[in-house]
Amino acid sequence: MERIEPFQVRVSDLRERFRPQREWAEGRGLLLILAHFLTGAGAGAWLFSVPFGLDLGLVVGLLLVSLGGLAHLLFLGRPERFWRMVTRFGSSWISRGLAGMSLFTVVAFVYLILLVLGARQTLLGGIVLVLSLLGALWIVVYKGFVWASGKGIPLWNTPLVPALYIAYALRAGAAVILILGLLGSRAAALEPLEPAKLWLAVSTAVLVLVYLEVMRGSGITTLRSVNLILFGRVAVPFYLGAVLLGLLIPIIIGGFAYSGGVPMGLLGLAALLSLLGDLAIIYCIAKAGLYRPLPA
Amino acid sequence: MRYGMVIDLKRCIGCTGCSLVCKAENATPPGVLWLRVVKNESGKYPQVRRVSMPLQCMHCAEPPCVEVCPTGATYKRSNGIVDIDADKCVGCRYCMMACPYDQRFFLSEERQYFGEGLTPFETHGYRRHQQGVVSKCNFCVPRLEQGLEPACVANCMTKARAFGDLDDPHSEASKLIRDRAGYQLYPELGTNPSIYYLPP
Repeated sequence: MERIEPFQVRVSDLRERFRPQREWAEGRGLLLILAHFLTGAGAGAWLFSVPFGLDLGLVVGLLLVSLGGLAHLLFLGRPERFWRMVTRFGSSWISRGLAGMSLFTVVAFVYLILLVLGARQTLLGGIVLVLSLLGALWIVVYKGFVWASGKGIPLWNTPLVPALYIAYALRAGAAVILILGLLGSRAAALEPLEPAKLWLAVSTAVLVLVYLEVMRGSGITTLRSVNLILFGRVAVPFYLGAVLLGLLIPIIIGGFAYSGGVPMGLLGLAALLSLLGDLAIIYCIAKAGLYRPLPA
Repeated sequence: MRYGMVIDLKRCIGCTGCSLVCKAENATPPGVLWLRVVKNESGKYPQVRRVSMPLQCMHCAEPPCVEVCPTGATYKRSNGIVDIDADKCVGCRYCMMACPYDQRFFLSEERQYFGEGLTPFETHGYRRHQQGVVSKCNFCVPRLEQGLEPACVANCMTKARAFGDLDDPHSEASKLIRDRAGYQLYPELGTNPSIYYLPP
């Protein structure tokens, strides 16, 4: 069978009334999705690890953000020029994101060194910690704005997308430290996190429903995109990944855990599945992106 | 000064000559169509109408691609032309997501038209294109610098295109827009495109 080259797919897309965006969802575009997932989970893990005193969570948080940064670099067409990306802080959310990620990576690394040296209770440690928390918060927040600020894809061009990305990053962060806590036999210390995680899962499910309903009524292009998610080529990752693994199972297990009597292993499984769900929803939203029809 | 173009849909016969001459002038690789012609059919037999609509970068006065570009590679010239400095582009493709008209192309690898290596034309022409960066129509800046019109305007056999300064009320383009109720694509997005269409 003759191989279809990516550029032939692009030319074929140009004939479509609703042209799909593929650059941020297929091929190397998958690296961008992975990058946003990893940086969100890492920054979320850092934010939750501090109040729970989970040092391993800090290390893994920084590691995930660094891996996300690497995935970002690999996604670029010309990665050797990445340093140029901080030059437009005033208008580009990618520039703002890179600045936040750079700040976080540096200060988080310094904080971990202070941790090893036993100097985190010092004034310097306090300043570095506050900066790292601001950096992590910035990473959690900026990603949604990268997607939402583009006028080309109506499905993303809504304030609901940043809200969704913030919720998913916090959820992923909570899941990461829950898994680490279980692995490190610190489950008891993380007990207060379980209701928060259940609340995050339920509120995220509501947010996804609101998002889809709002976008369904926001024009023919967004309606088409939502149909792709619910009934089209994005339906399988949506129902299997985002809904079943990412929302339903964690909510059910979380509900039982809230009322007591769920083995710790099952809680870990719920956290792991919710991570897969987080990755799936980022993929679904990216994959369902369509351009407006031309001619208008 | 603001360069702009007016495309008369009544005169356009959909020959795609502009598309072809754009490729010849700019030596764009396969899959890269800085200018394309979309055929739009409406009505029912026997009352059917077919309109050909050339599409290319709209060189917006408020370009969303310039706003989102993290490196400043996409920029607006003083004459209103939105251009790309390929040496600054990192290939993040953010501009492609920001362009409501989907008129940008990413060249991820070297592509050839014929499977037996590059032709002399391709070898020469592809020097102008870098891999891993985004490209698009720039109203043929090298031709403008020589005092020539963009290739698509100069070669349109039905004279369906007019090029000129939209800030000059006496330019042919401005007059056509005024006299024939020229319209822009998706004006509600606030991008203020510099390409106007005259109704068929």
